Amino acid sequence: MSVTLWLLAFVPVAALIRFVGIPDDTLQQTKPFLRQIFDGLCYAILRFLHLAFAVHKSFQSWVQMTLLQNEVDVHDLLLGDRPALVEERAELEMFLLSLPQRPEHFAVVLPDGHTDDIVDDVEALCAWSGMAKIPRLTVYSRDGRLKDFADAIEARLRKSKIISRAYNNNPPSIILDLGTHYAKRHITSPGNHPLHVSLWSREDGFPALVELSRSLAKQVSAGTLSAKSIDETMVASLLKDPFGFAHPELLLLYDDLICIPEFPPWQLQNTEVYQIGQGSVKSLGDAVVRALGSYAKIEKRWGK
Amino acid sequence: MPLQKHCRKLCSQASNIFRKFLVHILQQGPIPKHVAFIMDGNRRFARKSHQVTTSGHVAGFHKLANVLEWCNDLGIKHVSVFAFAINNFNRSEEEVSALMHLAKDKLKELADNSELVRYHGARIRIVGNKALLPSEVRQVMDYAEKTTQDNKGMTLNVCFPYSSTDEMTSAIRALIDDAESGKLQESEISEGTLESRLQIPGPDLDILVRTSGQIRFSNFMLWQSSKMAYIQFIDVYWPEFSLFHMLSIMISWQCAYLAIEKKKQTVAECTRPCMLSASVSDDETCCSEREAA
Repeated sequence: MSVTLWLLAFVPVAALIRFVGIPDDTLQQTKPFLRQIFDGLCYAILRFLHLAFAVHKSFQSWVQMTLLQNEVDVHDLLLGDRPALVEERAELEMFLLSLPQRPEHFAVVLPDGHTDDIVDDVEALCAWSGMAKIPRLTVYSRDGRLKDFADAIEARLRKSKIISRAYNNNPPSIILDLGTHYAKRHITSPGNHPLHVSLWSREDGFPALVELSRSLAKQVSAGTLSAKSIDETMVASLLKDPFGFAHPELLLLYDDLICIPEFPPWQLQNTEVYQIGQGSVKSLGDAVVRALGSYAKIEKRWGK
Repeated sequence: MPLQKHCRKLCSQASNIFRKFLVHILQQGPIPKHVAFIMDGNRRFARKSHQVTTSGHVAGFHKLANVLEWCNDLGIKHVSVFAFAINNFNRSEEEVSALMHLAKDKLKELADNSELVRYHGARIRIVGNKALLPSEVRQVMDYAEKTTQDNKGMTLNVCFPYSSTDEMTSAIRALIDDAESGKLQESEISEGTLESRLQIPGPDLDILVRTSGQIRFSNFMLWQSSKMAYIQFIDVYWPEFSLFHMLSIMISWQCAYLAIEKKKQTVAECTRPCMLSASVSDDETCCSEREAA
């Protein structure tokens, strides 16, 4: 009896969905009527599964955001004088110092169209790099907006109190790199703790590989290079890091989607990817610490 | 005993029907055209099961056969699998030799006897630097490719031995050779012409799956993954990858499909001139023109 009731409920719903919900499909219309009802039922189940998945994801994001709201802003953490903040800073510093391994080169991918507080974000990331003793930072935005803000970023980094505090009041010497077509900018005078910062966009990836191909083609046609001598070692040396560091070892993907938005592909060879949902980078603290904690445990087998 | 056999047969048939029903449900939504798998965790699975390493790789191959069947049922037209990395040659000689034997045997089995090839017309392509392989393995690979080259079903790209940086270097070299021989003008060197010379040029990668919980690419399909492929790092060893995991990945991708397509469209609008043009600076120009519009 209950099975009959279920069927009586589902069949009209499936029929309704079939004739209203599913996009127009000529192939669908040539199928037998019962098959179309069955497809409608399957479509209804699929939409229910999508809804269940979306609810699950939303709940996870809500939990994450609720936890992050309790996190301290990096400005408060580094500049605050309250005893609780001082204790938290000391605990964090001890934790970061105790990590058995940390990335030499840390990259962050900002989402497209992210212009609000972009200068604050880069400053905060530099401060986190200082606290974690990471000498190399790359901030990536596919649309190149970071480079549009280069002057403002340079001005901010030059006088940043939180960066100075992150380096125990011993301001680092910051070298800012905007890609192969731009000269490097030395923001502060050479010091003991250099921080190398790159602001990359799409043009530093695929177009850079194309430009490299053109340059090698010109050399081959001019007779200064043999095509047979072009191998991976040569290409790797031409695409090496502008500051001589390893390619990014840890990538923080700052987006709800786990998709790499055209980050330079050659540089992703051995990169650990850690995704953070969208939110203020100022409340990044726990995510950065977790990412570094996760990185500290990885086993680098290099194919072995 | 006959009752047990009947029960087992019934259960197997019921689970097949249920699987087909689940697949049919998923097929009411968008289906990815190209999915790639980094089949990681075979050795750790073997250690966990207190077996020798080779057993882990054999279990991995059986899982591959299952996964290919699921992909074929779902209607996924292109599947790429990371079977052996170039830097896997750094492993012990014993293990490398065992992997070469396994590859030789299983590829021949796949090309000659598998349902996927015989009934579903799957095509096998071997992708990678084959010059690094022993000649007997290369022969079997050439055989598998030749016997299936005219098949019209699913394309299976077996990356063996492969690294993405080697693939990109080969594409650059091929581009330069074509420019030198006059097949291509230097002004035609662009992202499009470089991409078409990759060993796995397309279609665009929709989903990249890596098992065993590691969250890195390990030099696999970097160019393709960087173009907005949906990445899933699954915390199970490859031999333990189940239909449930596959279906969860599909549901997750279907939910994100519209957002991904919207982002890809934005990217395509910005970079279409760059794929064809000879000037890198066009990228900035076309992005800012789009913003102004």
